[in-house]
Amino acid sequence: MKLSYRHLVKHIVQKPTITELSAKLFQLGHEHEIQDEILDIEFTPNRGDCLSIKGLLRDLSAFYSVEFDMPTYDKPIDSLKIKFKNKCRKMCPKISFLKIEIEDNIQDYKSNLKTYFEDLNNKPINFFTDVSNFVAYETGQPTHAYDASIFNNQVILKEISDSYEFTTLLNDKILLTDKNNVFFAENEIINLAGIIGGKKSACNKETKTAIIECAYFLPDAIIGKTIKYDINSEAAYKFERGVDPESQDFVLRRFINIVKDHVKIKNLQICTYDYTTTLPIKIPFNTNEINKILGTDISDKKFKDILSSLNFVCNEKCIEVPSYRNDVKTQNDLAEEIARVIGYDNIEVKSLSVPILNNQSNESYEQNIKGFLIDNGFFEVINFPFVSQSDKTSIKVDNPLDSNKGYLRTDLEKSLLNNLLFNERRQKEIIKLFEISDVYNYKKGQISKKKKLALIATGRVAKNHKDFSKKLTSEFLESILIDLIPQHLLSFKKINRDNLDTKLKNEIFFLEVDYDEINTSIHKYSANSKPPKEYIEYKPISELPSSNRDISFSIKDFSKLNKLEEIINGFKNDILKEKFVFDYFHNKKNNEIKLGYRFVFQSKVKTLTDSEINIVLNDIIMEILKLESVNIPGFKQ
Amino acid sequence: MSSNVDIKGPKIQKDTGAYHPINHIKYSILKVLSSMNFQIIEGPEIESEKFNFDMLNIKESHPARQMHDTFYIDNKESLLRTHTSPVQIRSMLDNKPPLAFISGGKVYRKDDDATHLPMFHQIEGIYIDEDISFAHLKNLIYKIIYSLFGEDIQLRFRPSYFPFTEPSAEVDIMSEDGKWLEVLGCGIVNPVVLENCNIDPKQYSGLAFGLGLERIAMLKHKVGDIRDFYKSNLDFLDQFK
Repeated sequence: MKLSYRHLVKHIVQKPTITELSAKLFQLGHEHEIQDEILDIEFTPNRGDCLSIKGLLRDLSAFYSVEFDMPTYDKPIDSLKIKFKNKCRKMCPKISFLKIEIEDNIQDYKSNLKTYFEDLNNKPINFFTDVSNFVAYETGQPTHAYDASIFNNQVILKEISDSYEFTTLLNDKILLTDKNNVFFAENEIINLAGIIGGKKSACNKETKTAIIECAYFLPDAIIGKTIKYDINSEAAYKFERGVDPESQDFVLRRFINIVKDHVKIKNLQICTYDYTTTLPIKIPFNTNEINKILGTDISDKKFKDILSSLNFVCNEKCIEVPSYRNDVKTQNDLAEEIARVIGYDNIEVKSLSVPILNNQSNESYEQNIKGFLIDNGFFEVINFPFVSQSDKTSIKVDNPLDSNKGYLRTDLEKSLLNNLLFNERRQKEIIKLFEISDVYNYKKGQISKKKKLALIATGRVAKNHKDFSKKLTSEFLESILIDLIPQHLLSFKKINRDNLDTKLKNEIFFLEVDYDEINTSIHKYSANSKPPKEYIEYKPISELPSSNRDISFSIKDFSKLNKLEEIINGFKNDILKEKFVFDYFHNKKNNEIKLGYRFVFQSKVKTLTDSEINIVLNDIIMEILKLESVNIPGFKQ
Repeated sequence: MSSNVDIKGPKIQKDTGAYHPINHIKYSILKVLSSMNFQIIEGPEIESEKFNFDMLNIKESHPARQMHDTFYIDNKESLLRTHTSPVQIRSMLDNKPPLAFISGGKVYRKDDDATHLPMFHQIEGIYIDEDISFAHLKNLIYKIIYSLFGEDIQLRFRPSYFPFTEPSAEVDIMSEDGKWLEVLGCGIVNPVVLENCNIDPKQYSGLAFGLGLERIAMLKHKVGDIRDFYKSNLDFLDQFK
């Protein structure tokens, strides 16, 4: 919610700067951003009472002397006779109506009403509606301004359960369905109660007689409606979080006062329908209990002083909660009030040690399994469980994000296959992935959970001269996994590429097993590849195509082999992404080594041209050719 | 000349894979907490409204229970857990205090945009014993944050609101560029929740905390886009060796 710094500070005797005020707001739990002296505050949902200038000032009075400068009309007002029936007394236990007739139309706004529109960039609509919005901003209580003529007929507040079309004062047509609380007149809905008024009964710029409705709707009557009907309503936002049932007289008298500042009032009448029975909440006065919750040592006096500054009424036995604080009911709630005012950061830390209770865990077992797979070149992936297709046992999502995500996966195959194809399209020559996840389906009508391990692999065996020329086979994969997966389950299936959107021909191998079936001997496995100790700074990856260049070096003086590897490994360039030996041959007859190096180039910003690649490649080659007895067959300078 | 040189051929770099960075962070936080005697527990991702909401004092009218925030399944009979808290509830019902549990895992919210995913990971912990106070909670939170970000990190506690804790707090850390970033939520377990789990709130009190792992991983690894964690791109995964 946006509140203007100058509207707030006007009432604060100490006149804190915006920076000082900001620090206090954070201490009280009111997260916010500041722009041009406007505080955009995200109040927690339990603090509906803060959603106004007055409301926030009440909270700030814990730190400052607050003198409310919100004059009200203080003369007696005649009673209003209208034909109104409240058939929703449970959801709306208190409602007031104010009839107000003015002499002229208003040209210009004055004082706070003027700055409200200027500072907060609000758009004026018509005088009564504008005053209504401003009073809600000032006091936290929404009101609704009707053109008074609608009350020539009977108006009924009632719950409807049929479908109705309703045109809002913003001229949007809404189809109301299920149960709704509405104001009804002349067989039409004139107001969606507590949310948005109707077009038919709305005020306009010419309205001279209005009826201002000021109601207390319970949060339950309002919650969910704005989302259901896609309505943006400040009033609903406030009612959902709870307004002060005791504020109606003050709010309407404040309303009159603002109108009076702008124009001569010809006629005023008021009436209130009150069915409230709730008594103020009282909590036993117990400083010990508060100190126990917080781990503090505050005195009775301090406890009292803090609560009094927040308008709680304290006596020896109990604490009476103000009518607007619907969030405070228990000792824990009071403890939070005390902690906020002391400052969470000022509560001294007490050393905590948890006794040994029961320290068995299975997480290390899972880590051993993963460590084993990672040692063997597999990468762990995590996938979302939502899929488009179902089999007979699939669980359906009632409210999916979209129709392609309407079911929960019953196995991991499709997810991993998608991961594999995604990487193949990015020219990856070796892809080995695994996922460990629970999957869910129906078994005999019941939801059943199974933890699965699945592996998928394709392409070459490894990026080194011994393995690069070899393609992965199920025999090879099974030979490396024999320690992990029992023999009778260790059988990779080949996924048919015919229906896949790919031109590649490498075989795809997939295996899924129940996690519970994994060899328990893996408990003792100690992984070679540990996760890094320090957190690695991630470098954003390129989505542009990469290019490979293979170069074959011939070495006569074998002692130069290490030096050559050293030079190439040490060579760094922004577009050189990867390099490795993919081929090695010792020709004993010629007493010569042949070394095949693959260089992978990729830029983060553009698709590389041959000449850009060649410039870098040339630098490497020139460096290497300085080594005696090393040359590149067929290469001419 | 060459014949007396020992020819081993080029060095063979073993191709190793990597943990998913989210799980790496999960394991390292669980390790810190289990060394403090918290017991690691697990629970189902499909839950009932009772365990996901009711037992945690999240009332029927709470916005989180609306269809737009929670994935419901099985004609609203069940749901995908929106936090890992129901795991703690189940364990509190099965055990008597004192008890100290942590659980980490996948949770689901009906969200899908540049900063929110329909699935993400949480770690949550709870400790119930006699005389547990907010001052103790602060000590634990300092330990967790220091283990993640080092002891030089500046942090602050802010009042917040969760239906299952009272008082509740959010914890911010100061980033390198001088901004406060929220990393963790915590509080004193609401006595209503203890009662729901048949624990006498007159005798026992508790502390609880929860953190989102993606957020921590983004800060630790400087990953700018949360969606990168779930593209399964080898160029991404390969960086976390």
